[in-house]
Amino acid sequence: MNSPANLNPRPFAPRYPQLGTGPVPVSSAVDPAFFELERERIFRGMWVNLILREEDLPQPGDYFVRYLEAQDASILVVRGDDGKLRAFHNVCTHRGNQVADEGAGHCKGFQCNFHGWTFDTRGRLAFVTDEQRFHNLDKSALGLPAVHLDTWRGFIFVNLARRPAQSLELAMAEFNQDLKPFPFEQMVLAGRYRYNVNANWKVTMNAFQESYHGAFVHKLSVGQCISPQDPYLAVQRIKLQENGNQSVSVHLAPHALSPAEKLAFGFGATFTQGGGAAEAYPGTAQAQVRDWGFDLNIIFPYSRINVGAGWYYVDAFWPVAHDRTVYELAYYFPMPQRASEMISQEYSKIVLRDLSREDLATNEATHRSLRSGAIRQMNLSDQEIAVRHLYHTVAARCGKELAK
Amino acid sequence: MSAATALPTPFTHLEPWLSFALPSEDARMRRRLAASMDELVGLYQALVGDMPAIAAHLDQWPLADLPAAQKPLLYLALSFMESAMAVEAFHQPGPPHATTPESMVVFPGRAEEMLSRA
Repeated sequence: MNSPANLNPRPFAPRYPQLGTGPVPVSSAVDPAFFELERERIFRGMWVNLILREEDLPQPGDYFVRYLEAQDASILVVRGDDGKLRAFHNVCTHRGNQVADEGAGHCKGFQCNFHGWTFDTRGRLAFVTDEQRFHNLDKSALGLPAVHLDTWRGFIFVNLARRPAQSLELAMAEFNQDLKPFPFEQMVLAGRYRYNVNANWKVTMNAFQESYHGAFVHKLSVGQCISPQDPYLAVQRIKLQENGNQSVSVHLAPHALSPAEKLAFGFGATFTQGGGAAEAYPGTAQAQVRDWGFDLNIIFPYSRINVGAGWYYVDAFWPVAHDRTVYELAYYFPMPQRASEMISQEYSKIVLRDLSREDLATNEATHRSLRSGAIRQMNLSDQEIAVRHLYHTVAARCGKELAK
Repeated sequence: MSAATALPTPFTHLEPWLSFALPSEDARMRRRLAASMDELVGLYQALVGDMPAIAAHLDQWPLADLPAAQKPLLYLALSFMESAMAVEAFHQPGPPHATTPESMVVFPGRAEEMLSRA
């Protein structure tokens, strides 16, 4: 095959000389102390992609609560009676109890179940039980503690820093040009999955940053999409950004369709369709990559907005502890108008779900091995430069620059 | 989450597979992963030829207005896609090397929620 990637087997290292080519130490994936450093230097100041869309909270009083393990904070997002979305710490300003349970719902306000203090949908303290017995209480200063909230193309992000180091728009960097035109608003949630993984968040992510593993991990699930002329799915397009963001295109070879795949393809867009195009699907690299399948867009450090022609999925590798991660994936398609479209979408959802389960199985085995200390470093090919980039970016942020 | 008891005409011949006509993706996935390959191959072979006709039949209605009596047929068609990965790709119910279904949660999408409400 005469793709540029195959003409030069190691095209990416020269483009990113700052990353070097040597082995990468694995200590940052298994050391509990390093996880605390990441929490302090990276997680607490980052824009957190909540995998939540503005349209998930359409009405005043609609709210969402999530405990963020990496930031060790419970966050409440609510649409106020003035129509505005706001985020708060889910913490009563009386003595610190939580005012809402984990999950989503609709309410007129939040009543703390400890002593009944009540906050309105704009976060203001509206009622104090037996208020006369308090000393000089200034209710106007005792609203729920605010958290910075911003949206990017309908995705809701929060930032727990007192003053975020940069705006969300700046954090998205090149995605503001490359990804922004994607028609996110034309699609709705088709399926959502949550997996508990016994592995470090970086180890978990690494299996989702390269396609070199495809021929092995996914040989049965999507083996038909791998061409004998390009057996290891050599990456054609990769963009590693200064701030840690990454974009990697995955290609899928044209192939004979199985009966189920043919049905799915006949009724809609599919995960496995592949195919180049003279004109790219908006917000994708379709026109730049031969047999383009989809783009993985990694928002540093641990969430992604991955786009195909006619679908997208958002996922996050939520760090829980140095050896535990929650992988969460939400898959979006246009709302099916007919049963046939729903049947078609089901095929892609099942393929992606089975693929995820295959990837995550390697993560747990890998983490156990690294923890044993049997190997102290990993040896990465040019195809795995996004993995290298992640370790370098994390180390630099934590003040522990890696050797080149 | 119980299975339906009947399929609409002209698909009543598929009623032996009603235990797969489950209304949630989570239940369909777990039914597939708990099934034997004999069951999954049986389901797949029973439906593969009928799938275009099933889709054409269900497409008589907008999905939002699909009558309750038709829903088990749609749920069975969605389970066909579960069986397809087992039969066409893995030759066993699920991927040979995969995380356990106990370690994961499957939440409903918008279409599944709409169908379960109406």
